[in-house]
Amino acid sequence: MYYRILMLHLFLFVNSLLAEISVLSICNIANNTSDIVVAGGSITEILYFLNEEDRILGIDVTSNFPKQTSELPSIGYVRSLSTEGILSLNPKLILGENDMGPPLVLDQIREVGVDLRIIPEEQTAMGIIDKISCVASIIGIQDKAQEEIKDKLMPKVKYLKTFQDNKIFKRKRVMLILSMQGTSPIVAGSGTSGDGFIKMTGAINVFESFEGWKPVSEEAIIDSDPDYFIIPSRDMHKGSDVKSLTSNPIFKNTKAGSKENFIFEDSMAMLGFGPRTIITALKVAKEMYQQD
Amino acid sequence: MKYVNSYQMFIVYSSILILLVVLGLALSFGSYKVTFIDYLYSDMSKVQESVFTKIRFPRVLLSAFVGASLATSGACLQGLFRNPLADPGLIGVSAGAALGATSFIVLGSNFIQGSVTNPYLLPLSSICGSAFVISALFFITRGFGKEGITYLLLAGIAVNAFSGVGIGILTYISDDSELRGLTFWTMGSFGGATISMIGPALLFIIFSFIWIIKEARKLDILQLGESEAYRLGIDIKKLRFSVIVSSAIIVGISVSLSGMIGFVGLVVPHLARILGGVNHSFLLPSSALMGAILMVLADLFARTMIKPAELPVGLITSAIGSPFFLWLIFRIRKS
Amino acid sequence: MTIEVNRISYGINNFSILRDVSLEIKGGEILSIIGPNGSGKSTLMKVLAGDIIPDSGSVIINGKNLNDIEISSRAIVRSMMSQTQNIVYDFDVREIIEMGWLESSIDQANGHFENTIKLISNECGIDHLLKRKFNSLSGGEQRMVHFARTLLQSNGLQKNLQKYIFFDEPTANLDIKRELNILNVIRKKAKEGYGIFVVLHDLNLAYNFSDRIILIKDGKISKMGDPNDVFDDEILSEVYEVPVYFDKDIGRIKYY
Repeated sequence: MYYRILMLHLFLFVNSLLAEISVLSICNIANNTSDIVVAGGSITEILYFLNEEDRILGIDVTSNFPKQTSELPSIGYVRSLSTEGILSLNPKLILGENDMGPPLVLDQIREVGVDLRIIPEEQTAMGIIDKISCVASIIGIQDKAQEEIKDKLMPKVKYLKTFQDNKIFKRKRVMLILSMQGTSPIVAGSGTSGDGFIKMTGAINVFESFEGWKPVSEEAIIDSDPDYFIIPSRDMHKGSDVKSLTSNPIFKNTKAGSKENFIFEDSMAMLGFGPRTIITALKVAKEMYQQD
Repeated sequence: MKYVNSYQMFIVYSSILILLVVLGLALSFGSYKVTFIDYLYSDMSKVQESVFTKIRFPRVLLSAFVGASLATSGACLQGLFRNPLADPGLIGVSAGAALGATSFIVLGSNFIQGSVTNPYLLPLSSICGSAFVISALFFITRGFGKEGITYLLLAGIAVNAFSGVGIGILTYISDDSELRGLTFWTMGSFGGATISMIGPALLFIIFSFIWIIKEARKLDILQLGESEAYRLGIDIKKLRFSVIVSSAIIVGISVSLSGMIGFVGLVVPHLARILGGVNHSFLLPSSALMGAILMVLADLFARTMIKPAELPVGLITSAIGSPFFLWLIFRIRKS
Repeated sequence: MTIEVNRISYGINNFSILRDVSLEIKGGEILSIIGPNGSGKSTLMKVLAGDIIPDSGSVIINGKNLNDIEISSRAIVRSMMSQTQNIVYDFDVREIIEMGWLESSIDQANGHFENTIKLISNECGIDHLLKRKFNSLSGGEQRMVHFARTLLQSNGLQKNLQKYIFFDEPTANLDIKRELNILNVIRKKAKEGYGIFVVLHDLNLAYNFSDRIILIKDGKISKMGDPNDVFDDEILSEVYEVPVYFDKDIGRIKYY
């Protein structure tokens, strides 16, 4: 009986150790650290943040920040990449996240001998820091990166932590809306990037009870009675968006809706989980709690 | 007994020639710079050789076979249903294959370890999907024997609807990371094809071709109507079985390897009829050849138009297919 | 060798269409069947052809039960001309006729295919139409093409293989010239030795054309035999529920 428990623990320990090791090996330094093709907006962002954008040969369509990215060759949509297309840019290193695909294309690229790294993502503030460190390790600039992180990001991360750990004032209850499918908005349930963002701001996700991105009914929205609606948007036409949402009967009947408590931010800046997400989370946290 | 006249033979031979030329072109163009000539005569770099033999060649081969499969299946179904608007999607086989694949993507990872990374399980579940549809159709129409092809069409519509619901439910319960695979199925793509993946599939496809071309004459006679065809000695149940099962195999395999690609099955047989005639001994092989030519060209455009990115090939076939389809409707209306 | 029809009964949803029908079709003879609408004439022909399986009774062709004859073999021993459906695709006239050519036909090997087609087209008066598209023909012309196809299918009568041809209202909607053409060819086929079975509507035609006649009403045979016996005023009036008399001198039905 005890023997079995012991074996179980040993098994779990070895498993997690292996998981750790595999994560560590992903972030090992690459043989060739320039000539990079990037499939993932946050990674592009990270490279620009570290001032290493000159290494980039090509990017995917989700890499739309900063503006200079539009001058780089595009390899298309991150989930349906082209083997030949990527190889034609002659990359030595490919960096992407776990939505890179299709898997067969990734296999083909690896078979040709190109170094392909899928950077692990944890949707928290420290997860972002780890992501930046991983990218930095791969291209061999850990020290420089640690400097940048310490200077520019850690203060914000610490500030954010005070919102997350706060035990003094009441937490805000929010929902994050991705899009309107017909008349049912798609909202962030648990386990989504949206949920990760909400937690980063120290707020409570009113729809934590289900997993994934799901459509919800008008009644569910009114019943959940959030303090704020957080809306990631592609175009920042704030004025017209607020107007159309406040006049929308689904939102009009909520407390937040009547007070016009809508928060709009760029979707990649919010859900990409690159450096901007830390900045955006802090901005949103301040905006929500400042009103009191 | 020769059912194909000399003009039709000329068209078939020309198509073979054109297909060879088109294959050479497709093998020579792409995002990466390496041509057919390079392969034959010059020293290529390791990457060039990899791109040519492991990436481009299987892809071009697959597009040719899928094009031929969809076109032939379309011609067969237009003959079986005696309806010029019939299409492989009509009897629900494509939807069944997509449902099989979708089920696997969303549910499979819960049951089979490491399943998402194994590239063979996915096509296999597609084929299971289309096989399930065939069986359901067989059961509903009682061995394809129920009088009237209308019944079969209705069964096909029901199956399509059911698959749609199934795919919808799976989409709903899936989380974001699983959904990544689903758009591939509806738009179609030949990316990522490898020889080991397509080898067994091509064997099945060739076998089905041989099976169905033997029935070409019977499809002609079927055009007189089912009663007449019966009186001329045609076993209607057997014919329906052959056409539907062989269509299901080649369409199921095609969808599993490259997603749902529309219009080719509908449009190519009409092109072949306009060029050479309507008898199936000519129509089936020429549809296969023209379907292959069309698909190889469509994929060539898909992967070179916005290089280094790629368009879904289904977009190209729809762009060519829709105006042709409209023209076809006007032509039918006039006569 | 004949076609023996033994006590055929058939019904749909408890409604009887054929009741205990028996008859015999012999080679070299034209057997016609007449009767009011809905009497079961066409249904009977379908049972003989094998389209419909009767509820009871049997059809014996050349000594063999129809159910035991393979579908492809049935096509050799009997051909049938009946109403046809629309042909969706643009076949040539010649291609439609050629569909009557059975690959399992015994004399396929003797290579008389070209000659046979020429002969039959000529017989049917459509040899000038061979290269045209079937769908561009008039209704009457299309029927002649189907007639030619039926003849091609039944081509190749041999001493040890008795063949039969069925016609379901072959002259419907045809002009006089074509009507006479078809009737002449059918008579010729009977003389050659084929067993001919015809459903007819026109009583005058039936009297003058047939060797034997069957009169059927409500799925039951009222009278069968020599035309003179069948065309009895009382019997005809009863069956058609209309007072008629038949002028045998001129071979014409007259109404009061």
